[in-house]
Amino acid sequence: MITARARSALTAVALALSLLLAAGTPSASGATYARISGAGSTWSENALRSWSTDVSQYGMPVQYAGTGSSDGRNQFREGNVDFAVSEIPYGLRDLGRLDTPPRRGYAYMPIVAGGTAFMYNLTINGRRVTNLRLSGEVITRIFTGVITQWNDPRIAEDNPGLALPARRIIPVVRSDGSGTTAQFTTWMAETHGGLWNDYCRAAGQRTPCGMTSNYPVVSGRGFIAQNGSLGVSGYVRQNYAEGAITYVEYSYASNANFPVAKVLNASNYYVEPTASAVAVSLLNARINEDEGSSQYLTQNLDGVYRSDDRRSYPLSSYSYMIIPTDLSRPLTEDKGRTLSAFANYFLCEGQQDAEELGYSPLPINLVQAGFDQVRRIPGAETEGIDIRECRNPTFSTDGTNTLAENAPYPPDCDRRGETQCATGTGGARNPTDNSGNGGGGSGGGGSGDTGGSTASGGSGGAGGSGDTGGPGATGGAGGESGGDAATGDSGADAAAGGTDGGGVIDPETGEYLDADGGAGGAQQVIGTPVAVGAESFWGLRTALMMVTALLVVGVIVGPPVLARYLAGRDRRRTGAGTA
Amino acid sequence: MANGVETIQRATEPVPRRPHSDSGWADRLFRSTLRGGGFLVLLVMSLVGGFLAYRAWEALSEAGTSFLTTETWEPDVGEFGIAAVITGTAMIAAVAIAIAVPLALGTALYISEYAPPRLRRTLVSLVDLMAAVPSVVYGLWGLFFLQGEIVGLARWISTYFGWFPPFDVTGADPRDPLATATVYTASTFIAGLVVALMVAPIICSIMREVFSQTPVGEREGALALGATRWGVISSVVLPFGRGGMIGGTMLGLGRALGETIGVYMIISPVFDIQWHVLQTGGNSVSALIALRYGEATSFGMSALMAAGLALFVVTLIVNFAASSIVARSRSGAESDS
Repeated sequence: MITARARSALTAVALALSLLLAAGTPSASGATYARISGAGSTWSENALRSWSTDVSQYGMPVQYAGTGSSDGRNQFREGNVDFAVSEIPYGLRDLGRLDTPPRRGYAYMPIVAGGTAFMYNLTINGRRVTNLRLSGEVITRIFTGVITQWNDPRIAEDNPGLALPARRIIPVVRSDGSGTTAQFTTWMAETHGGLWNDYCRAAGQRTPCGMTSNYPVVSGRGFIAQNGSLGVSGYVRQNYAEGAITYVEYSYASNANFPVAKVLNASNYYVEPTASAVAVSLLNARINEDEGSSQYLTQNLDGVYRSDDRRSYPLSSYSYMIIPTDLSRPLTEDKGRTLSAFANYFLCEGQQDAEELGYSPLPINLVQAGFDQVRRIPGAETEGIDIRECRNPTFSTDGTNTLAENAPYPPDCDRRGETQCATGTGGARNPTDNSGNGGGGSGGGGSGDTGGSTASGGSGGAGGSGDTGGPGATGGAGGESGGDAATGDSGADAAAGGTDGGGVIDPETGEYLDADGGAGGAQQVIGTPVAVGAESFWGLRTALMMVTALLVVGVIVGPPVLARYLAGRDRRRTGAGTA
Repeated sequence: MANGVETIQRATEPVPRRPHSDSGWADRLFRSTLRGGGFLVLLVMSLVGGFLAYRAWEALSEAGTSFLTTETWEPDVGEFGIAAVITGTAMIAAVAIAIAVPLALGTALYISEYAPPRLRRTLVSLVDLMAAVPSVVYGLWGLFFLQGEIVGLARWISTYFGWFPPFDVTGADPRDPLATATVYTASTFIAGLVVALMVAPIICSIMREVFSQTPVGEREGALALGATRWGVISSVVLPFGRGGMIGGTMLGLGRALGETIGVYMIISPVFDIQWHVLQTGGNSVSALIALRYGEATSFGMSALMAAGLALFVVTLIVNFAASSIVARSRSGAESDS
């Protein structure tokens, strides 16, 4: 009985399977792809992961391990992977060490553009700062351990709207060999070579230092080194990592819902590494156009660093796939076919997702050159792909870069000066109240005396004058001084309202805020944390802790000792009784 | 079985004892298989050691004795040594053992002496499950969960016991409310804590095994003399199991020394001897290898092999010490009598 049923079940399963197979065969025969594997950059890993997921529906098994660009280049050289992804080419000198090219045939192919962003974790009065702005020099000084506090006047100069706290800056760097580090250190060496060399010397490296994939860490400067882009961004986003800042591709900050710093460009605008800003900057990248060169299609970013377009983001770059051009191990014709199909996918359709993923799509000339490179892969599928069908957002009919053409100009509040946009950046789009600015955001915390007595940090107007950014704002007595001290341009009307001790007019909405009513309670109260006076070691807290410790010990040790004592007394008494 | 045969022989005729009784090809085959297995283990070990020494020779011959004293790791400019990494390894292992041994001892004693039989089976399989969790999972957990939760403890220890040099944290000011908590993260302490959780199950199962082999006679003797349960443990179980406890600890130490991925994920590598266990930054030989092998030049690889060789030697010494201690103790020799 059971066997019969089992047999019939088996038959049914076999039938179903054969039906499935029969149905699957025609489509599968056209597209059976060999499994290919790659390794390297974590900078572009988010894009590659998304693309390899996309192509799996076509039956293309693409494995990618984000192990760092250095590891990727090494594994490609050793013949462990079919392709590698790296931000920098072979043959560069890394702290005096030559990165030797592989003996197998290889070529570079740009895969995606993006901005190396500065993701940070900073709050003012418990509210996340999302509109931090930094100049290149300040960034270099931060990552070389020269600026160590967030309330440093040089940072305040970039951020007139923020009352930055007296917190330590924790630079988080990559511990593994990384293309992101290579891009960042190339930029530092190129634009602020002196500062970078000083740091390198302190780290025991020979100077001039130049670029390196391994960020040198000087012990005792409070730097944290973590491996992988996910490692550094994951560290920065933790609650305990307040004050941390790291360099990582824009997509990681977006995915973590964290803001990135706007970086000052050559025309004095602070710009966020959005897809369009990156596209604009990379108009100035010099691409090696010499097809005979081993460095064909590689980038020279000097022009990007100094681009005078006010929409450009200085730390923009391309990421490259290193593809094999001969049939040395482990490449086979089949794998070459898969790799070329994968490349054709991401050069064309994949670029549409770039912006959404936190990258920037390639312009038409690089896509064209990329297709030419793909043909050099042994076994490549060379059937014509109509490049006009790609729907790449950068393409246009006249050959210009549409994305860059239509890139929005930064608003005036992003210009270096006394104003600061409140809008958020990266993955944190909520605006930041300009706490250091007289009239910024919160529109005062009610009348002078209530502000001073209820809010520990004083009112929003307490941030001091708008032009200094209020690094000296110490809260406390803020409420009373708030109205008088606010002298920033945008805070003028708020200040006028504040001086009479009565109502305040919100500078953004124009709404009249009742002074002695619920305005103070309804509005968020901005306070600036301050260091409290030193507490002596033998204070009340220590005493209480010691008492608690004694009590705990007493509870544990007491009962057995007491019991033993009582038992002993009983025994003595009974002993005495019998004697 | 063999004892029984010999007893019968002795009873019938007084011939001298023959310990090597040859009873056919089956025995011989079995014995040679076992001997072959034993030799194979030795062979593999010596091949590993030989390979490491061979590959490390290039680096070792260039560095000489400075290999043991240099702290930095820059093989490509000729300055590299294991002083920092081997100290870091030892410190992480020390933290791990200091936490894992009391934990494992308590667990093993509870399971073997106190737990009701039904709970005992559950607990044993739980501990085994803990041993089966891959170390990368521990690493992820440590990085994204434990680190954030444990920072408060690290701060507390450094605040109140900072007068003890290893617990001191430079750059930390407990009285500053804006002071960063990051100085307590990515430290030897947190890495050691994660490693402790990985080695505790191994130590625990060895200890439990040894405790459960305590001779029933002695146990009952102690009970008959009026000992409490704790009296039995302290006077019979623990002295009997001392060798096993030390052996288990040493085995755990061996694994703690070699633990790679958990340490690699958590620690912020520095190439200085960093005595402050609670402070950010540390290193270990295996984390160094994991970090650098991907991008090493051939000479750099040789230097990494030399570091690996040093770790191999240290682990061998630890394990030999463990086995000699276990061999000289009671628990190994007489447990089955």
